[in-house]
Amino acid sequence: MSAAPNEPIIELEDVSRIYDLGKVQVPALQDVNLRVARGEFLAIVGPSGSGKSTMMNILGCLDRPTAGRYVLDGQPVEELDDNGLALIRSRSIGFVFQSYNLLPRTTALENVATPLMYQGVPRKERLARAQMALERLGLGDRLDHEPSELSGGQQQRVGIARALVTEPALILADEPTGNLDSHSGAEVLELFGNLHAIGRTIVLITHDADVAASADRAVHIRDGQLLEAVPA
Amino acid sequence: MRSSDLLRLALSRLGTGKVRTALTMLGIIIGVASVVALVAVAQGATKGISDRLQSLGTNLVTVSPGATRTGATRGAFGSATTLTLDDAAALSALDGVQAIAPQLTTNKLIIAGTQNETARIIGTTPGYLDVFAYQMWSGTFLNQASVDSNLRIAVIGATTADNLGLTETAVGSTIYIGGLPFELTGIMQPKGGSTTADDLVLLPYSTVHELFVGSSSVSSVGISATSQDAIASVSSEITYALEQRHGITNGVDDFTITTQSQLLGTVSSVSDVLTLLLAGIASISLLVGGIGIMNIMLVSVRERTREIGIRKAIGARGRDIMAQFLVEALMLSLAGGLIGIGVGAVASFAIGTYAGWGFLFNPVTVVISVVFSLMVGVVFGVWPASQAARLDPVVALRYE
Repeated sequence: MSAAPNEPIIELEDVSRIYDLGKVQVPALQDVNLRVARGEFLAIVGPSGSGKSTMMNILGCLDRPTAGRYVLDGQPVEELDDNGLALIRSRSIGFVFQSYNLLPRTTALENVATPLMYQGVPRKERLARAQMALERLGLGDRLDHEPSELSGGQQQRVGIARALVTEPALILADEPTGNLDSHSGAEVLELFGNLHAIGRTIVLITHDADVAASADRAVHIRDGQLLEAVPA
Repeated sequence: MRSSDLLRLALSRLGTGKVRTALTMLGIIIGVASVVALVAVAQGATKGISDRLQSLGTNLVTVSPGATRTGATRGAFGSATTLTLDDAAALSALDGVQAIAPQLTTNKLIIAGTQNETARIIGTTPGYLDVFAYQMWSGTFLNQASVDSNLRIAVIGATTADNLGLTETAVGSTIYIGGLPFELTGIMQPKGGSTTADDLVLLPYSTVHELFVGSSSVSSVGISATSQDAIASVSSEITYALEQRHGITNGVDDFTITTQSQLLGTVSSVSDVLTLLLAGIASISLLVGGIGIMNIMLVSVRERTREIGIRKAIGARGRDIMAQFLVEALMLSLAGGLIGIGVGAVASFAIGTYAGWGFLFNPVTVVISVVFSLMVGVVFGVWPASQAARLDPVVALRYE
């Protein structure tokens, strides 16, 4: 399933996403080309309205490009149907969201185990794996807490544990520090740094150049176009 | 997704909104309970009617004149005069006939002391008592000697006795029927079953023929077969014998044979219609309950749009979401159905005890109710569930 180690995890070729609003056609992404190598920590930086969210939706296989080619982990995705996209999200992508997006009234342990449920992993095994992921992020004493009983930083760490538990090829983080105080934000960025250090591929989408600085490469997005690739 | 996971998700969801869950189920509970209770009522009523019919005499075969057809038009039932006392005498000799009671009927004024009443006069034989399952309360019934000798004796029903103010001390006294004196030899016990069953005066048929009815045409002949199993063979013997006597060769009979089993069959087909009707009415409330479930599920899908988006982002396929919501709807309707069966059973018990036909509980009704409530869950859960399954994850994740 996975591509050979030297192949890029993400390969975008002339990808465009045009929203058809009936009378007008709004190009949110135009002819984007991007390669992300295995083990890379990339930041995509841009102000709001730059096409950042569209970029995140395309990279995260939540949406399809209207034109161009997108190969994720060796799998061309632009032709996949909804089911195929769900499968590739399940297997290859771990999302970290700005607003954490944990399931309400559901314990941290169950939250982290849920992606494994959709992979059909038996309950015992998935609870064990979820517990391990939470313990690794220092939340071993918060397994039975619901999101409403956790601080923002803790919730985001649960979110990261959920993204990691399936061992995805790509971790896709959308403004992961946006809702956090600077201290918790720094902790989360440090976590990403650690994950990068052990070989995880991370794409971080942000409007904040300081946050982007923790990545080892940053690309800028303006008006739906990637401007330049700036080495960090 | 595994079915155990689906069940766990649905259970925990229904557990988090207990009041809402209970209110949603209430529609189904009422629907199923009324189906169960009304079907039990219909069946209880049927049983009550059947029991009364049995009291009319279980082995009864009634032969009536008539069913003469002119072209396609059938004459009024019992209007023909084709059945005679001689026919009755011939039928009494048939195999399997235990007792026979021809009925020569008329209406006469009865006078007893200062009381009077116009009553139904039936000229018959001693067999009448057995054939129509009467019992004596006081005195004696007609005997063969009284029939053979045209004796002027009378036996009266309980209602007639009441109306005339006669009690057991009146047995042996003289009453006047159509102006002629008769000796009252007996009063029968009330039988019930119909209002007219106990309002009658029985005389030897020979006496009635001699004094009141010139014709020998009988209004009907009651025959009791030796057993319930013999009813069919007795019926066909009667048909054969009467066709012979009446010279009927084309199969168009001038008499009609009615048996208890036919009557019971008629009653049960009527009660089947009644049961269907009541179940149909009750099903309407089940339908309303189903719409309640659909309503709640649609609200739920809207409220949980963001949750659906999250689940899709972390790997749920459309069909996983569909299954999750469908199982929730199914559990609502199934749980409501089971509670409804309990409530319905209690209601049937209460009604049955009150009405006196006892506790009737039909397992078939239970199975049908459960299946029906599951169907309600599927039918009214599919649409909300497919709405949920089709949500675009990008839109759903942005939903506040």
